[in-house]
Amino acid sequence: MKSTALRSNRAPHLGERTFPRLMLAPTLVVMAVLTAYPLIFTFFYSFTNYNYLKHANKASDFILFENYIDLLQDGYFRQAVLNTIKFTLLAVVLEVLLGLLVAVFINSLKRGQKVMRTLILLPYLLPAVTVALSWRMMLSPNYGIINQFLEGLGLPVYNWFMDTKTAFGTVLLIDVWQNIPFVFLLLYASLQSVSHDQYEAARIDGAGVVQQFFYVTLPNIKNGLALCTLLRIIDTFRLFEKVNILTGGGPAGTTSTITQYLYTYGIKNLNFGFGSAGAIVMTLLVLILSSFYIKRAIQ
Amino acid sequence: MKKLFALLLAMVMVLSLTACGGGKKEEKPADTSTPTTEQPAAPTKLTLILRGGTYGEVIKAALPAFEAENNVTCEVLDLSFDDLHSKIALDAVNKEGAYDLCMVDGSWMAEFTANNVLANLSEMGYSFDDDIIEATTAICTVGDDIYLAPYFGNVTVMLYNKQLIADAGYEPADIDTFADLMEIAKKTNAAGKKGFLIRGGSGDNIVSDFIPHLLVHGGWVVDENNQPTVNTPEFKAAFQNYIDLYKLGATMDKDDIVAAIDNGDAALAQGWPGWYVPSADSNANYTVIPTKLDDSDAAKNTSMYGVWTIGICNNSQNKELTLKLLEYLMDPETQLASIDLGGVPCRTSCLLNKDVLAKYPHLETVHGALQAGVYRPVIEEWAEFTNILGTEMDAVIQGTKTMDDGLAAAQTALEKLMK
Repeated sequence: MKSTALRSNRAPHLGERTFPRLMLAPTLVVMAVLTAYPLIFTFFYSFTNYNYLKHANKASDFILFENYIDLLQDGYFRQAVLNTIKFTLLAVVLEVLLGLLVAVFINSLKRGQKVMRTLILLPYLLPAVTVALSWRMMLSPNYGIINQFLEGLGLPVYNWFMDTKTAFGTVLLIDVWQNIPFVFLLLYASLQSVSHDQYEAARIDGAGVVQQFFYVTLPNIKNGLALCTLLRIIDTFRLFEKVNILTGGGPAGTTSTITQYLYTYGIKNLNFGFGSAGAIVMTLLVLILSSFYIKRAIQ
Repeated sequence: MKKLFALLLAMVMVLSLTACGGGKKEEKPADTSTPTTEQPAAPTKLTLILRGGTYGEVIKAALPAFEAENNVTCEVLDLSFDDLHSKIALDAVNKEGAYDLCMVDGSWMAEFTANNVLANLSEMGYSFDDDIIEATTAICTVGDDIYLAPYFGNVTVMLYNKQLIADAGYEPADIDTFADLMEIAKKTNAAGKKGFLIRGGSGDNIVSDFIPHLLVHGGWVVDENNQPTVNTPEFKAAFQNYIDLYKLGATMDKDDIVAAIDNGDAALAQGWPGWYVPSADSNANYTVIPTKLDDSDAAKNTSMYGVWTIGICNNSQNKELTLKLLEYLMDPETQLASIDLGGVPCRTSCLLNKDVLAKYPHLETVHGALQAGVYRPVIEEWAEFTNILGTEMDAVIQGTKTMDDGLAAAQTALEKLMK
């Protein structure tokens, strides 16, 4: 009798531990194959001079930290890191501020919310390559509509992507234009979940529009705002297609980003050893930038 | 019960994974160039990996006739310069390749042949005929072995706007020195237009655009031992001349260069025949790049080849049939027909055909340039070489580095690369 009672007590205990582990196993296996293996592979090759074509039939050499030393000694890599950080900060701040502004505005509309929501989302639905090519045509110094418009107004025109004074700002503007809708979408969803009772209570307490925004809206959407900022930081840090199509990192490296640099000096030439070292450095930078949110999420 | 259920789930998962990976290997269809069965065989699929734009379009236009005649279907991938290089190289390490016929830029030849990417066409029985311009075949061989066939005769030429040249007091035939280019650029600039356009963008674009200037100054990017020579007096003089011309114009990408010359916004730029197909009444045309610095200078070869060649991937599963396609594409009749679509064959009979010249007079210029061009150095590291040099040159052109600093940095980095 006693032993039966013991068994019946132990059985669910074992099941409670084993069952979740077994259920997690497929996910862990998939994660290990798709995430951990490439990361280990990249880390390992970052210490070699592995070239995909040259070392197809022979082993690459282990060169310790040479790739990392070359990277850090290269002025163009340092320029690319600075450009990326500058670009990320500016783009994320502008996207979040403007996206929040648009979300609050659309959320406050009594009519036409659905139409506006759809229209605002359009730029985000376009592939980055299409966006880049469309803007390149619009900003062409010869046949671009923007220069023609500026000329018509008697304003100075520019060779937008080939001038060191304008190239960075132009790429930034295009990226902000395309990604505001993403921020808008996330924040709009957060705003929809804010209870109207809170606004009503605030109004009864005499709060104005600005006070309602700071004391009701912002506290309610702060998690959405933080998530949105993190996602935009990670995504902007990896900016590649637009830069590659519009400027190729030029003129004079003013628009070069880390991914563009890695593509030009590593991937394009099939120097995957060097490219891997750059990828590891970039991963560390993204981890540092996003560590605040990750730490908070773990807590 | 839960344990049993978990075990069952795990077994199902293992079985599913096994089933996913254990499918029967799809058998490749045999080369059907010589069908052995009486039943009509299923068409063989050939995959062509080509450079996008006019270069690939002319090949695509020629395919239907070959497909019908040989019971073949051709799948074509149009790619950008960099993507084409990467995709060919990435597939080359596979035992069974995904591509059959590939388009190859002459500057990749050394890298591709050194790494066994291309099939030896000589061993397969291919040889050049006398009609192919001999100079264009130099990049296609290693020793006596042919690896590539020169398909599209790309060579640098001078693109000019007819009206702006006339306004500067020149006839196209009179532009035979770099001093003339400077004179035209100055006069055009003084008239409020752009005198001379240079090409921006990737390192390769910048270096390729500059090379004719270097050649006319008697310089070169490497010495006889393939060691870099980019910090020499010749290089500096050529670069200064190039920057002086740029200051009378602007830097643009390919599409904008063509548009600016065609719409009369700029007078001169170096270009490639594949960019623009002039007709008798178009605003722009080509002439040869001048071969002398000034009237007192001796003539030099200043046109640089950018010939697009075609070859067979060494791991192609349909080599015999692909060779048949390559021979068909290199056939004089096929090449003659390509001219109406913007093609530039490397064949004298096509380029100097009377009917062709009546319609496209600029091809005589192209023929001349193709006979006396200069190839980029045949070195495996050329792609990296142009990245390094182009980046430093761009910094000097944009004024973020002095010429001395930029070229010294380039020389140091290139010496390390070529070590």
